[in-house]
Amino acid sequence: MHKFANPAQFLRLARPLTPVLFWSGLLLALGACAWGLTMTPAERLQGETVKIIFVHVPSAWLGMGGWVGIAIASIIQLVWRHPLAGISARAIAVPGAVFAALCLATGSIWGRPAWGTWWVWDGRLTSMLILFFMYLGYIALASASSEKGNVSRVAAVFGIVGAINIPIINRSVVWWESQHQKASITLGGSSIDGAYLWPLLVSFLGFGLLYGAIVLMRMRTALADIRIEARMRRLAED
Amino acid sequence: MKPKHQRLVLALVALVALISATLIAASALREEASYFYTPSSLQAANIETGKAIRLGGMVKPGSISRSDDGTTVLFTVQDADASIDVRYRGITPDLFVEGSGVTADGRLAANGDFVADNLLAKHDENYIPRELADMDMHAAQKTGESLSEDGTAK
Amino acid sequence: MDHGTFITAAYTITGLALGWLVLSSMIAMKRSEALAKDLTARKDGDPQ
Repeated sequence: MHKFANPAQFLRLARPLTPVLFWSGLLLALGACAWGLTMTPAERLQGETVKIIFVHVPSAWLGMGGWVGIAIASIIQLVWRHPLAGISARAIAVPGAVFAALCLATGSIWGRPAWGTWWVWDGRLTSMLILFFMYLGYIALASASSEKGNVSRVAAVFGIVGAINIPIINRSVVWWESQHQKASITLGGSSIDGAYLWPLLVSFLGFGLLYGAIVLMRMRTALADIRIEARMRRLAED
Repeated sequence: MKPKHQRLVLALVALVALISATLIAASALREEASYFYTPSSLQAANIETGKAIRLGGMVKPGSISRSDDGTTVLFTVQDADASIDVRYRGITPDLFVEGSGVTADGRLAANGDFVADNLLAKHDENYIPRELADMDMHAAQKTGESLSEDGTAK
Repeated sequence: MDHGTFITAAYTITGLALGWLVLSSMIAMKRSEALAKDLTARKDGDPQ
């Protein structure tokens, strides 16, 4: 960890890594979606609309995973005061919010033909909506922080405490009588036919790599902004 | 307003939105609970015709049919102890199928039928390609693995 | 209720949102890194 405590060392890795993550992610995501849209069979009951799964589920997982990243970065900031912790948490937040919003939007679009409604206040949908609002709150708190590096203590604590929502979203379909169906993919196995499961996993990988590339870009921007601020201050003093 | 204050306002707005969502969800749940009926509880409750209520249960296997002019779907909703006939005019959700759950908003008609204004279908967690639909669900999942491997899907 | 419309809508929203995210992140990065580089060059004794 301390190897990358020095921003210069982090950048030395981040700069070449960004295009690698971006292009591999883009290729896999586009490829998986094309595969899913054109080469998978129509589903028994839903017909073609099942293919929304290839964007809906990765968005859900990445929206949730993003907040886990924020929680981890917040702990690292509070406990070890790692200089890149706050920067990484901020970088994760906006894309995480986008994925959460996409999960809600694509889910709603899917729900209309499949279930018969755009929305229900069941456990899964409500907790995912709450996650999206939590992201907005975190983004606002983080940008209100006085430093450009680490976030305010309030923001970091919020990032950690809010993580309780992630297992809630996951378990919601088990704990409560829900409109959203129960888990199709579990540690024990999957009730999704292989024809859909493989493009889904590749799609998740592709979008995940893209998420990584975006986070790196946003971290690089933040580090550059810090350098700019420091230089501007020095130039003003001269 | 200073940018910093703007952001705190935004954080406050997000917090209000969060609390509102939770409250709306909680009140929606309570509302549903108060006018939600299963076939059994509907029979026991003696609701007057025309009152807006919600009916939930399972679609009785073999009960789905269409009226003669094709615009109305007729089916039976059942639970462990009772069943009730339902009429619905409209497009049924994809997942509306015999043996699965359904929830309908509507009212009781004079003849004891339930007239539904909308249908909400419940979905199990299985995703099965159309070609395997005629087989037993379990066998279908096993075969599904080998079928998709040699690329005969679609 | 044509299924194609729903599929198209879902994928279009996804593409637009992620496209915006990638582009805005990339543009901000290029701008900031270019300015930082320029300022560093200036500070290190390059009179401009």
